[in-house]
Amino acid sequence: MKSSPKLRPNVWDALVVLAVLALAAGGALAVWSGGGDGTLTAVVTIDGEEADRFSPADLLEGPRTYTNNGYTLEVACGLRQLENPPPDHAPPAGEAGVRAAWADCPTQDCVRTGLITRSGQSIVCLPAGIIIRLEGGAAEDGGVDAVVG
Amino acid sequence: MRRLRSITLVLALVLGLTGCSAPPADPDTAEEHVQFLAMDTVMTLSLYGENRAEALSAAEDLIRSLEAKLSRTEEDSAVSRLNRGEAVELDEELDSLLSLAAFFRLATEGAFNIGVAPLASTWGFTTDHYQVPDPSEISRLVKVVEETWLRDSPEGHVLEPGQAIDLGGIAKGYAADKLAELFREREIPRAMASLGGNVLAWGNRPDGTPWRVGVQDPARPDDQSAFAGILSLKNAFAVTSGGYQRYFEEGGRVYHHILDPATGYPADSGLTSVTVVADYFPGESFGTLCDALSTAFFVMGEEDALDAWREDWSRDVDLVLVTEDGRVVITQGLAESFTLDEGSGYTLEIVS
Amino acid sequence: MRLTTRQLTLCALLTAMALALSYLENLFPLAVPIPGVKLGLANIVTVFALYALGPRQSLMILAARCLLGAMFAGNMNALLFSLLGGLAAMLTMIGLVRLRRFSVYGVSVGGAAAHNCGQVAAAVLTLGSAAPLYYLPILLLVSLGTGTLTGLAASGLFQALGHTNLRYLIKE
Repeated sequence: MKSSPKLRPNVWDALVVLAVLALAAGGALAVWSGGGDGTLTAVVTIDGEEADRFSPADLLEGPRTYTNNGYTLEVACGLRQLENPPPDHAPPAGEAGVRAAWADCPTQDCVRTGLITRSGQSIVCLPAGIIIRLEGGAAEDGGVDAVVG
Repeated sequence: MRRLRSITLVLALVLGLTGCSAPPADPDTAEEHVQFLAMDTVMTLSLYGENRAEALSAAEDLIRSLEAKLSRTEEDSAVSRLNRGEAVELDEELDSLLSLAAFFRLATEGAFNIGVAPLASTWGFTTDHYQVPDPSEISRLVKVVEETWLRDSPEGHVLEPGQAIDLGGIAKGYAADKLAELFREREIPRAMASLGGNVLAWGNRPDGTPWRVGVQDPARPDDQSAFAGILSLKNAFAVTSGGYQRYFEEGGRVYHHILDPATGYPADSGLTSVTVVADYFPGESFGTLCDALSTAFFVMGEEDALDAWREDWSRDVDLVLVTEDGRVVITQGLAESFTLDEGSGYTLEIVS
Repeated sequence: MRLTTRQLTLCALLTAMALALSYLENLFPLAVPIPGVKLGLANIVTVFALYALGPRQSLMILAARCLLGAMFAGNMNALLFSLLGGLAAMLTMIGLVRLRRFSVYGVSVGGAAAHNCGQVAAAVLTLGSAAPLYYLPILLLVSLGTGTLTGLAASGLFQALGHTNLRYLIKE
């Protein structure tokens, strides 16, 4: 030790950087994809029990239906239109999310909830005892912890 | 000898420094989360800290037992038995809650009234089979509601036939009060509880900043990310009442669920939502107060609500009123902690 | 270990500098909601001490810095964070210096990455939850920046001291 230090970056330093990058990438893969923590996931609970878990993108293959207490709820994918939509001929753009497309319950609260797109938001059908909650995904700046209303 | 003395001095210094500047509150950021349906709404609880797991299940038990006790739909609950005309011995908790309800009714000149239940039933808001009742039926029930008081009888408290009570307007606020006591007893450093829109923001966020609570934009109820503004809260309750929460349409008109006990019709006061905010104080029931006042102020309308606030409540609570004509009126105490959503199109007024 | 007055003075000076840097980095909070996780600017001192004074005295400086820093902050919880972070960084850097291939930049980057790993480990230990691991990849990327910065500072320092024999600092 007490060696005189090399002051210019060299090829070996690039190795260190690569090693750190590899560690970061490996860690990201292990931590973020492992539990599905990093990607937005819809979790469906019926009477308090987890009944289904899917990615909003899965809804592109078709809507999903859930039945409980004699009521049926159809969940479909939705797109929030951007406030400034792109010019004509551009493909539709927006924020993808989940919505209750149709339900046969009397209140229709779940359908009125509209589109949910962010972690922590949920659609609730009280008569059917069904909750669809979005989990995971990166926390968003300007997001809130709770909503009154 | 000299050395020994200096070592002692250093030790004393170390102990003194660390001792008197005690470490800050538990920096625990680990979260335990649960979401379930109870009291006719969705409950979302997030707890932090060492005791979070036990406290979370205790909190869920607490809410469920309150539901069993206060529910109108649960056959055996004390409230159901009262509504069937039975004489009921009230336990201490129910007795104090009903006393609170009576106090709020008197203090708000009847704008908040748990006896409004028969009216809510005839509109179908309790059964989800909505209808616009006959005007004569409404005026008959307005009288019934006006005369609804619990009476003493030899076997306990009793209601007259036809009278009924519904604690839905304070049960969630009361549950929030009980949760706050539970969090305090179990030394929960921080928690966020949303009891169907009744929020208890306990402690601060894991990053040390206040909790951010969005006030739903009443004009865009179908967008959960549309806010009139955002409240920064720490150890506080917030409750919103708004006509957009439950409503139905008939004959081209919209009828919402907040009934004016004086007219028997949905309150038409020029407000689209009322949010009441109060800081937590041990031993006070400010969660219950917020719940009751949000309904009462919604029924009263802007002018009467602000008069009542100035007269009786300005020391305990603060308000966010959203009006039909596109204004957001907040009271002085929220000037620092309320941020208007610039994109919402509302104009902000601060009153004192 | 016996220290010459010169060495003792240098150690004390470096400890003070490290403390100042620890304090300075409080002004730049990381966008990571884990209390206690810091940038690790004080590693500049560790890098310098490692080359100039060797591992033993660097370790002493590190220990003094962590203990005093926690005392000044009045928060003994912070001790675990800075100790684990600092020790991980130091051990990694000792290893890298021994290999004799890497410049101060490589050594610093390795140290910064290890520093963040150590801090996340401390967070996992104190919170009893794996949640902080979630931020490890981000912190590792951040460490590339801080490591380069540390390397830049150290290399500048050594260049400025170019005419001074580092050994002169140690031997009377």
